[in-house]
Amino acid sequence: MDQMISKVSKFAPTNEFLLQGSIMENAHDVLLHRLRGLCDNSDSPFETFTDNEMIFSMKNTTITQALNLRVRHSLIEQDSWQVRYAGMAEMGDKNRPTMVRHVIDCSTSDNIVLFLNELGFRMDHEFVIKGFYFHKGRMKVTVSKIYKMNQPGNTENLEPFSTSSLVELSVVTQQSGGEGIAEDMKSFSEQLKPLVQLEKVDHRRLQNI
Amino acid sequence: MMGVVCVYAYNIPEGKSGQQVVDSLQKQMDIIGATKTGNFCVDCETYQSHPQNAQQRSIHILHNSEQPATCFSVLDSGTVLVSDMLFDLIMNTMTQAKSGREGFFQQRKGFKIESRGQRYELADFVIKIGSVSLMANFKGVLIEVEYCPSQVPGDCWNLMKEILQSIVGNTADTPPSYIKTKMDSLYTPADTINQYLEHFNAFRKTATPGQQNR
Repeated sequence: MDQMISKVSKFAPTNEFLLQGSIMENAHDVLLHRLRGLCDNSDSPFETFTDNEMIFSMKNTTITQALNLRVRHSLIEQDSWQVRYAGMAEMGDKNRPTMVRHVIDCSTSDNIVLFLNELGFRMDHEFVIKGFYFHKGRMKVTVSKIYKMNQPGNTENLEPFSTSSLVELSVVTQQSGGEGIAEDMKSFSEQLKPLVQLEKVDHRRLQNI
Repeated sequence: MMGVVCVYAYNIPEGKSGQQVVDSLQKQMDIIGATKTGNFCVDCETYQSHPQNAQQRSIHILHNSEQPATCFSVLDSGTVLVSDMLFDLIMNTMTQAKSGREGFFQQRKGFKIESRGQRYELADFVIKIGSVSLMANFKGVLIEVEYCPSQVPGDCWNLMKEILQSIVGNTADTPPSYIKTKMDSLYTPADTINQYLEHFNAFRKTATPGQQNR
């Protein structure tokens, strides 16, 4: 097993480079067309996604720092279930163009929610996220809107959190081999200005709001 | 795609070593004309909840070389999660002690068990002869027979019984206990894992000569 872990962790894509930003409703369509022009497969129709994301957390009386796992279930491809562990994003110093965090993305069978509940995880919150995705080489761009679910478990009765959309640019690489990718992302994000300002966002500060 | 699998423990006759039994079974495979198609391995590690967790659970994490990119996680409640190998890393995260705090799960020491051996093909059958070892101590021999063209145990049991009896003897007069409840359902790789786990749990309880039972 330990051998297995070192083998898997060496080759698995677990290093995520990330930039985030947001776009106002009125400029949303302009951004989509801009991205379509810049990214691969510019002649095919927009690719969309609608996911239900559930955040499960575990803590106990001696371990008070919770461990969170995020379950994503596609509402379009109903068979697709994923569980993600994401570490704290490191800001790095000013010279580093993007945030970096440790992520583990794992496709699972459809009983992941039951499995986590039986393990002792409890659902903390959930939301629906709808949007568009683009890719350019190994870069992934999503433009998406987050919706509050008015009734727990009901993915039909939704209310948008905000009129703005979240824009994320990310690349997931192996532990080594991420050299240069952050620079590529930086120059790509320059091409989206002034529509979107993709930046490093300090998540620790958001938690105190 | 996979077929239906039955796993049996081979009764080791008194006075014979595990190696002798494996050798004679391999000879038997040559005689019936089966072709060697490499090695196989099914392994299992067990984890336990931190004593302060609200829910006390055992989790068994298993891998089968027949599904090399898959990780099977079996809870003591019977739930089986089938996932990517990356689940090993998630399990590692849940087990790891971090900045002074303990992990939410602990690996049970001395519980690593595996069945490892030669894989054979004979027409529509895949036959595997595995020696089981718990922390490098020999525990026994497991025979796996897969009938590839079928997906429902009830449809092919009588056919499988014949080949199984010729290898493991009258132990194979009835289907493995786990399969008995699934005779009419579609067979999946998770069913194979459950059969191995039943045998592994039984082997863990048997004492190894010259070693204390844990």
